[in-house]
Amino acid sequence: MAHRSVGPLVLLVAFAPCLAAQVPAGLTPRDSALHALNRLAYGPGPGEVEQVAAMGVMRWIERQLDPQGIPDRRLEQRERAFAILDYEADELAAMFVEARRAQLERQRDSMTARAAPVDGAAARPFRRLAAEFQQLAVVRATLSERQLLEVMADFWTNHFNVFYAKGADRFLMPSYIEHTIRPNALGRFEDLLIATAQSPAMMFYLDNWQSVAPGSTPPRFPLSAMRRGGQGERSPRGINENYARELLELHTLGVDGGYTQDDVIAVARIFTGWGIERPRDGAGFAFRAWAHDEGEKVVLGQRFPAGHGRDEGLRLLRILAGHHATMHFVSGKLCARFVRDDPPDGCVDDAVAAWHHSGGDIRAVLRAIFRSPDFWAPQTVRAKVKTPLEFVVSAVRALGAEPDTTPRLAQVVGRLGQPLYLQSAPTGYPETQADWVNSGALLNRMNTAVALAAGRLPGVVVRLDDALPPAADQAQLVAAVNARVLGGAMSERTRAAISDQLSAISGGPDARIWAVGLAIGGPEFQRQ
Amino acid sequence: MAITRRVFVKSGGLALFSAGLDPLFLARAALSLGRPGPSSAVPGRPILVCLFQRGAVDGLNMIVPHGDAIYYRERPRIAVPRRDVIDLDGYFGLHPSLAALKPWWDNGSLAAIHAVGSPDATRSHFDAQDYMETGTPGVKSTSDGWLNRYCRHEQEHEDTPFRAVAFGPQLPRILAGSAPSLAIDDLQAFGLRAPRDATRDRLTQAFEALYEGAATGLLASASDEAFEAVRMLRAANPAQYRPVDGADYPRGRFGQSLLQIAQLIKADMGLEIAFADLGGWDTHVNQGASEGQLALRLGELAQGLGAFAADLGERMRDVVVLTMSEFGRTVRENGNGGTDHGHATAMLALGGPVNGGRVLGRWPGLDPARRFEGRDVAVTTDFRDLFGEVLARHLGAPDLAPVFPGFVPDPARFPRVIRS
Repeated sequence: MAHRSVGPLVLLVAFAPCLAAQVPAGLTPRDSALHALNRLAYGPGPGEVEQVAAMGVMRWIERQLDPQGIPDRRLEQRERAFAILDYEADELAAMFVEARRAQLERQRDSMTARAAPVDGAAARPFRRLAAEFQQLAVVRATLSERQLLEVMADFWTNHFNVFYAKGADRFLMPSYIEHTIRPNALGRFEDLLIATAQSPAMMFYLDNWQSVAPGSTPPRFPLSAMRRGGQGERSPRGINENYARELLELHTLGVDGGYTQDDVIAVARIFTGWGIERPRDGAGFAFRAWAHDEGEKVVLGQRFPAGHGRDEGLRLLRILAGHHATMHFVSGKLCARFVRDDPPDGCVDDAVAAWHHSGGDIRAVLRAIFRSPDFWAPQTVRAKVKTPLEFVVSAVRALGAEPDTTPRLAQVVGRLGQPLYLQSAPTGYPETQADWVNSGALLNRMNTAVALAAGRLPGVVVRLDDALPPAADQAQLVAAVNARVLGGAMSERTRAAISDQLSAISGGPDARIWAVGLAIGGPEFQRQ
Repeated sequence: MAITRRVFVKSGGLALFSAGLDPLFLARAALSLGRPGPSSAVPGRPILVCLFQRGAVDGLNMIVPHGDAIYYRERPRIAVPRRDVIDLDGYFGLHPSLAALKPWWDNGSLAAIHAVGSPDATRSHFDAQDYMETGTPGVKSTSDGWLNRYCRHEQEHEDTPFRAVAFGPQLPRILAGSAPSLAIDDLQAFGLRAPRDATRDRLTQAFEALYEGAATGLLASASDEAFEAVRMLRAANPAQYRPVDGADYPRGRFGQSLLQIAQLIKADMGLEIAFADLGGWDTHVNQGASEGQLALRLGELAQGLGAFAADLGERMRDVVVLTMSEFGRTVRENGNGGTDHGHATAMLALGGPVNGGRVLGRWPGLDPARRFEGRDVAVTTDFRDLFGEVLARHLGAPDLAPVFPGFVPDPARFPRVIRS
């Protein structure tokens, strides 16, 4: 059973007076603990609501903002079972090159090629590793004590979305998550932005590796090995605007951020030459001076004089990271994630002010959001619908269950509509309920809930006896389910509906499965 | 509408009934299958079935320009020999694996549209599929699909939970968006699942009561829809509609998808839009000519389409099946006996309302000077003009502007794939 320490209480008591005052009126300590665990974490595990309430919710939040101070040994232990973490990016690249070569050979050899999908066998080792890597995300979200870090890793993975199944990203993705996103998830936005811009995964995903100054010629045949042999993507012949456009629209300023098509073109020119080494050379980030447009550019009214190479890209990224439109846009997305789908202005303003004062320190921005009255407003509590990932992970956590190392639980998340790292659109997965709530999806969630309660959900071991000791009677059972699954916040209507159903099946050995399945599959558990 | 009947006499001597001034699909279906059609038919609501050939189908080996010497010059190893091509109009012909579709061509319910594609020059599968599904070529940030936008803006149609259904584990981009749409992997398994029927029914009731009592907002309306859908499926039991004799669906996911689409249509569940996809078209290596990889894929497509049309019989009068693929392939074969990523491709339209028996679209020719970037078939029909025409003239969409933002659909550019 999951056992979560909440850390050395003694040490934290010293901070109690200054922080306790910020707990808003209107919510009991228990309610505010539950709310914080629903938003900053993937829902409460067994006993966590009480633990956080006892330690003081603001103190728990401060602790989550400093993940390095939280021991996470159980997760570290589990991570050792994930072979994908042992591969360096260049090793994966070498595997990719070899797999491609073998595939081409096989196809040349087979005179009467059968209908085997052209993309079949070569992709297999990557599919296996990809599945393992997806499961790692689920395991981390479920078991990590550093819950806010995991939530933010997921947030930035979507904000700086890369599609795992696009060509070279099949081997570039793991290092993108491990070395680009995660180390910067609670750092400075500027560092994170620059890290993504210098990641081969992003350069490939948004085609910037193909973007070269018009008329420039490579010293040798470039990068064709990135693509399948003779795929017909000829040597690049000009600028490609994809990264430039998404950088402005999705990563920084936002679609209404006040830039023009001319800005997009100038940005694309600034990033000409930002690309990738050949896979056989390790497939790392590479700036290729031959491909860089050395002319003068103007972006957002700022002049970038001629004759600067890679530096002007870094200068531009710093300008964008500190731009007011960026602060506003990204703060709005953070508030949509943590507060409400339609983020309240006051909360966004608080976040922007913190961004301004701190120079884009993500922790300072988050702290401002978590201290904003909007975060604690009654209409914020349970206002958001869980994404499939949040639904599955919070359900597993509620039961104190543990995902195994097979990819199966991640596949459950995928079947519910959110295959991890596989959002093809650069927008990443959406955050609003309209995108996740539909009839088919709800039925799938109900089935998942019942399967989980019955111990039939693949990829996770549930011991209902640990989670929910046998109850003396129906009322006690419902009370226990309320405490364990719904954090003690079960509404009267839900209580009545579940009780009615239990009466209808007149108790029996399945009563516990029914009660837990209905609670997890029911409307209240879909919210957070 | 008034239905007049007249008698068709096939050379074989079979007497058949048809209706209307144009030969209706009833007769066409019966004619080509050599069996009498069902007796009565009330005109139903129009239905669109979209089939996505993921991986970029080689349009030139699907609808073969066998009358063009350049085709044979550029493809010494993989051109379909003239003797194998099923001639359509003296210049174009069907790949021999599509032979099963020839009767539909002959009775005027199958059309091909050549040189159709995207105005965007990308040769990335990922981007091009995305553009074709969002309906906004060149704009990557569009998050919803054009079929979903159609459903959102065209609310004349009675909304049932089964109005727009994609077959597969996930909702594809083309149907993503705020209008309700379903992704169904298996009709039989849709709904609450339990080992025994009695348990399943009780579980369904339990969740329904729970949601009725405690759900609010979107969760309430979506759960209403869900239980309504489950009830409809239970009552109509589409699985009872077994394929008619002679409807031989190919094994595998594609055939199963088509079979289930036919079941939904026959069960009158309010289906207006169905979507399924099939892969394996990315033939860079050894694609083959009359036989080989591509031939096998085309064979599955033809068998599926043929089975579907035969299975639906007279219901095909209301149905248009439209194939699509993200782009075409190079005119010239590559060094591996395959073709690389190109530009325009060919699409097929099948069904009673189709202006069939002809290759539509303006053919740009294979002359290198007329090719896109000197190497690929040029796009002369923007795919939005084709899709737009089907929405407007088949489904009756009054306004295409919100469906294809940033594009002004012009009936003058419609390829005339739907009969007047």
